[in-house]
Amino acid sequence: MLAPGDLRPLVEVEDLVVSYGAVRAVDGVTISVAPGEVLGIVGPNGAGKSSLLAAVGGQLRPTSGRIRLDGVDVTKLSPHRRARRGVVRTFQDTSEFGRLTVFENLLVAGLGMHGASLYAATVGARAQARRTATAAARAAELLARFELEPMRDTYAMELSGGQRRLVEVMRGLMREPKLMLLDEPTVGVAPHLSEQLRREYRRIAASGVAVLMIEHVLEVVEEVSDRVVVMDNGSVIAEGTYDEVMQSQAVREAYLG
Amino acid sequence: MSFSSLDFYLATVVVIFGVDVLSAWGLNLQYGYAGIPNFSFIVFQAAGAYTAAILTLGPMTATSGQTYVAGTHVPFPVALLAAMAAGAALSAVIGVFAMKRMRADYQAAILLILALILNQFIVTDTSLFNGTSGLANVSRPLGSLVNPSTTGWQWAYAALVWAICAVVLFAVQRLSRSSWGRALRAQRDHDAAAAALGCNVVALKMQVFVIGGAIAGLSGGLLVFYLQAFNTASWGYEETLAIFVSILIGGVANNWGVILGTFLVQIVFVEVPNLLPQFGYIGLVDALEWVVIGLLWMAAIALRPQGVIPERRVRAERFGLPALRRAPPVAAAAAAPGQQGAHEERLGAAGGASRR
Ligand SMILES: Nc1ncnc2c1ncn2[C@@H]1O[C@H](COP(=O)(O)OP(=O)(O)OP(=O)(O)O)[C@@H](O)[C@H]1O
Ligand SMILES: [Mg+2]
Repeated sequence: MLAPGDLRPLVEVEDLVVSYGAVRAVDGVTISVAPGEVLGIVGPNGAGKSSLLAAVGGQLRPTSGRIRLDGVDVTKLSPHRRARRGVVRTFQDTSEFGRLTVFENLLVAGLGMHGASLYAATVGARAQARRTATAAARAAELLARFELEPMRDTYAMELSGGQRRLVEVMRGLMREPKLMLLDEPTVGVAPHLSEQLRREYRRIAASGVAVLMIEHVLEVVEEVSDRVVVMDNGSVIAEGTYDEVMQSQAVREAYLG
Repeated sequence: MSFSSLDFYLATVVVIFGVDVLSAWGLNLQYGYAGIPNFSFIVFQAAGAYTAAILTLGPMTATSGQTYVAGTHVPFPVALLAAMAAGAALSAVIGVFAMKRMRADYQAAILLILALILNQFIVTDTSLFNGTSGLANVSRPLGSLVNPSTTGWQWAYAALVWAICAVVLFAVQRLSRSSWGRALRAQRDHDAAAAALGCNVVALKMQVFVIGGAIAGLSGGLLVFYLQAFNTASWGYEETLAIFVSILIGGVANNWGVILGTFLVQIVFVEVPNLLPQFGYIGLVDALEWVVIGLLWMAAIALRPQGVIPERRVRAERFGLPALRRAPPVAAAAAAPGQQGAHEERLGAAGGASRR
């Protein structure tokens, strides 16, 4: 079996700069993630981790630099186009659709369920019905896998923080993703759910998905990541395995001030 | 009040009710399903009304006694379709800048200000639709079938309005239950997440804005053929507020509930007071109507921001999943059968939560 590092990177970020006005939140970052690999990103508050993720997901337009997905330049692609190319993400603050049920949250994420074509959704109803049936079957599988069946008809706004995280991750999995972006995916999650989530992240990577994960909890980073990037002040200050970066002098200084 | 004037009044109320229900469905698609705070909704109704009027008034002559543009004669159904098209077209133009990604409160402010400006514009430029006096002498359609000066005609027209309501209800239900409608609701709840799942949020909003505008235009066309006149006072921004309150009371994203909300607000609080004996100074009752509507709005927002009648829960069973096995109802034994379902449901949800 191939080790993750042997594969051509799925996503390549090159010399990326993201600014908010005069603030350079991301200041020349170059990273890449291979299929099946989990790249952990750590760093102090305000290091620019979420901004980096948003640039990769398309939520923020970078000032300069390049983002390639599967060798294709997607730097200027809108988020929904990137999503249709296999990018999914969770947000630092959970992003459930509160007044949709858990099941509907999954359904809307299904392939071809994004509603862009009024014609398909209404007049061309037969093809859409087939897509809906496929998505419903996949949603049912995921509900079973994540043990959320009893909650399927519950409005997402009524879920606990941890359950919302699960729904976000399940929504991503509805789409047969190539790249999954996770922004602090265990924050606010009860311990037993966190354990379940960590297993799932490994399982998702094992299925060939490239995972880019921002995480503050170092045990989670150690357990889940294949490789770790440490950011501070918008720049990468260390990169390597978990043990390697934790030995780094620069990292100790960044964390201990 | 004599019998015939009551008959006249009732038919009028039924027509206005239908027109208001149409408007509420249009705005509910935009606001309830898509989260677009369209505070200029009434402008699109006006676009339909003016369009239908000038298309049937005929060319302006020296004896018209009113000034307007593009007067011509087209058949009634064509005029109605043109009214829809006018609402849709104006929505498309305004949507180009108003449906961009922006904060909802800015969007609300932009649309409200737009409504004020456009009204003032039509007041000022009398060459378009005769300014404040507005257009009059619009002929009642279908005169060859029923004598237009009878209450029989009024009732026939009321039936037509409600037949059109039935068609529009079918359409809005179909749209809102489709995957398109689900995507609309998703972006309403979290637009960045919807986009990150492949939804083209701007396109979705643009589409629903234009569809809502078409429904608004249609409602305006139907209204003007009944009233035979239309002026700038008919579409003050506060008319949009009344539609909002109808939706908040009747049910955000609930097209049946909206009928009830419209009845309460537009009929009970706006129309019926016209029947009551007037008291105080002239215009007091009118002003009180708006005070009541304002209070209703505040109460609705404070008590149930998602609408008094909730959005219908879409259950997974609808998509072919087996029914959920629910926890046996513990305390339900004493409950009446009618209440038991609701009780089980709550238990089911809570039971699920505690098992986790
Ligand atoms: N919308 C914004 N407008 C202006 N500045 C912003 C904005 N979002 C983030 N910033 C700034 O950009 C820098 C990087 O923020 P970012 O959220 O990317 O950091 P982070 O590493 O994710 O931090 P945290 O661990 O707290 O989530 C910070 O200095 C922050 O104050
Ligand atoms: Mg962050």
